[in-house]
Formats: sequence, structure tokens, C-alpha cells
Amino acid sequence: MADPTTPATTNDPHGIRKDVDSPGQLFVVFATVLGLALVNVFLSQSIGPTKFTLPLQLAIGSVQAGLVGYYFMHLRQGDKVVILTALSSLFWMGILFVLFMGDYMTRHLVVSQ
Amino acid sequence: MSASTHSPVLKHHFDDLGQQHASERLGIWMFLATEVLFFGGIFGAYTVYRLWYPSEFVLASSHLAWKFATINTVFLITSSLTITLGIRAAKLGDRSALLRYLLITAALGTAFMVVKGFEYKADLHERYVPGPMFQAEYAEAVKPIATMTHAQAEAYFAADATKSHPDHEPWARDLALRNHEGSTAAPADPGKIQLFLCFYYIMTGIHGIHIIVGIGCILWLVWEAWRGTIPPENYSTVEVVSLYWHLVDAIWLFLMPLLYLAGIGYGHH
Repeated sequence: MADPTTPATTNDPHGIRKDVDSPGQLFVVFATVLGLALVNVFLSQSIGPTKFTLPLQLAIGSVQAGLVGYYFMHLRQGDKVVILTALSSLFWMGILFVLFMGDYMTRHLVVSQ
Repeated sequence: MSASTHSPVLKHHFDDLGQQHASERLGIWMFLATEVLFFGGIFGAYTVYRLWYPSEFVLASSHLAWKFATINTVFLITSSLTITLGIRAAKLGDRSALLRYLLITAALGTAFMVVKGFEYKADLHERYVPGPMFQAEYAEAVKPIATMTHAQAEAYFAADATKSHPDHEPWARDLALRNHEGSTAAPADPGKIQLFLCFYYIMTGIHGIHIIVGIGCILWLVWEAWRGTIPPENYSTVEVVSLYWHLVDAIWLFLMPLLYLAGIGYGHH
């Protein structure tokens, strides 16, 4: 995106065209994310519901979401405040999970005492 | 304000377009952070109950229409590509391509909701809805096999499944057989199955509302692009909507395994 440090040219006075996405790259990312979705379905069907299935499914989903964030949402363009915001949301969600999982998953220990 | 950055698109309170675009991006990312936390709470609640009642959640999930969900995944991922191509078109000042990509994105979002509508309709038809419908359907399946041996119950449901208009829905047959005396499988609490269904309807319902809002925003962009108010300097308008749309897509990438793939491959009776 254009930012105050983006060099302007005569044809592109605001530096907007400088970082236009390459269609080829977008299609590769699209094919990868779509392929991973189909792999997720195929693997889930092949393995069935075992204790490893959910972590595997979520790992694939995380890779897909990461690709969407990095390429489609332009995190790769390195706007530091935006990256900080994105990581902060994950950090706060991590705190959310740690706190309530710490409660709910240890209740049986307290009751058994 | 420097002469090189002067543009009619520039709002009066920004020094230049770079600052304006950066502010717009930061604003929408702040909003997306709240969305992540909003869905994070729901995912967290789901995680707790999934860990507490794994077998019921797997059984309940196995009766959802994962094929519909897979088609919808293809729609959403494709729409993420098309809206990103729309940003590219906006940056290059290609108005017809921008309109085309925005319309394709809106159409894919609409197709998602149409498929979702068919899915809900099928669920409703099967009475796979928590509450009185579920309880009545389950009770109807339990009643005829109450005095049968397990082998007789299996034969009864197998015969029912071959009818052109079965008396019992597949999920009710499965659940009743699993809870039947003599079943070797661990019993499944119908209340916990309904709990999963509550998550299913709430999570997909909230996600669907986000899709509808996204379609509305994209159609607004179509209107603006058609009016010619999205020159390259204003591409960030498209980008802001696209960021929201991508987040909705990314959330679906987690809903899919949590809801639809949890029970895929589960062996039904």
C-alpha cells in the first residue's frame, strides 16, 4: 500500500501501483489454500475421528489462515503497526484460552480432593 | 501537504494519502482484532465442551452435511481470491475488472448462503434441531425398539433405512441404537448431542450474518465503483472491505474442521 515512505513516480504519483499483487502469486496461494482444504477433508475421512485428527485438522486450518493473512490480507507488506495489531489479537485470544482452560480443565482435580 | 500527494480523495484531516491509507488499514485491523476475540470466545466454549464430551460431539458431527460445507469452502476461498484481484484492479484503475471481481465475489458469497440455506432446510427436514423437534424424533426412534433385543433393533432400523420414506431419521436411528440395551458402544447423551447442535447453529448462524454483512459491503463497493468514485487513490476502500471478507473466510476455515469434519469417517450403524 502507499505509505509516506513509498517513492512516488510521475506515472504513479502516490506510489500505489508499486506493490500491486502479482496475479500468478495470488493464484498459487489460492490453489494452495484450496488444496489444503481438500486435503483436510480427505485426511479426516481416511483417518476417522482419532485423538490426532482434531490437532491435524486445526494445524491445516492454521496454515490456510496464515496464507490468507500473509498474502491476501497483505501482512507480507510489513506494515508494522498492522502486524502488531494482528499478533495482539492472537495474543489476547491466547490469554483468553489459557485463563478459561486453566479453570475448566482443572475443576475435576479440585472436586476430587 | 506535499504537492505530489494532493488528491481529491484525501480527507482534510490527513497530511497525505499514505497516512490516510495507513489509518484506514489500522482501523479495520483494530475491528478485526475484536472479531477474533468475539469468535475466540465461541471457539473457546466449543473447545471446553468438545474436550468434555468428545464421543457425543463426534457422533453429532457425523450427521452434518460435510459435502455442502466442502462446496461452501470452495466458494469462500475462491471469493477471497476474487476480492484480492479486485484490489489489484482498483490499484491499476481498471474499473471494469474491479466491477467484475466485486460482482463475482458477491455472487460467491450469495452462493455460500444459498447452499447454507439448503443445508439448514435438510437439517430442519430431519428434525436435527435442538429442542422439542429433536426430543420428539428421538423418542419416536427409541419407542419401537424398547422391547427388542439389540440384534432385532439393528434389523428393524436396517429395514427402515431401506424404505423410500423411512419412519426414522438416520441420526435418530443411530442414536437410539447406540443407547439401546445390549449395544457395545458407549451410550451417547441426547442432551449433549443437542449441545453440539446449539454450537453448530450459533457458530454457523453468526458466521452467516457476517457473510450477509460482507455481501452488503461488497454491493456498496459495486455501486461506488459503478459511479466512478473508486479511483486508484481510493483503492483502500476496497482493501478495507476485503480484509473483513478474508477474516470471515479464515474463520470458516476453522469452523469447517470443528463442526463438519469432527465426525467425518465415523462408522454408523
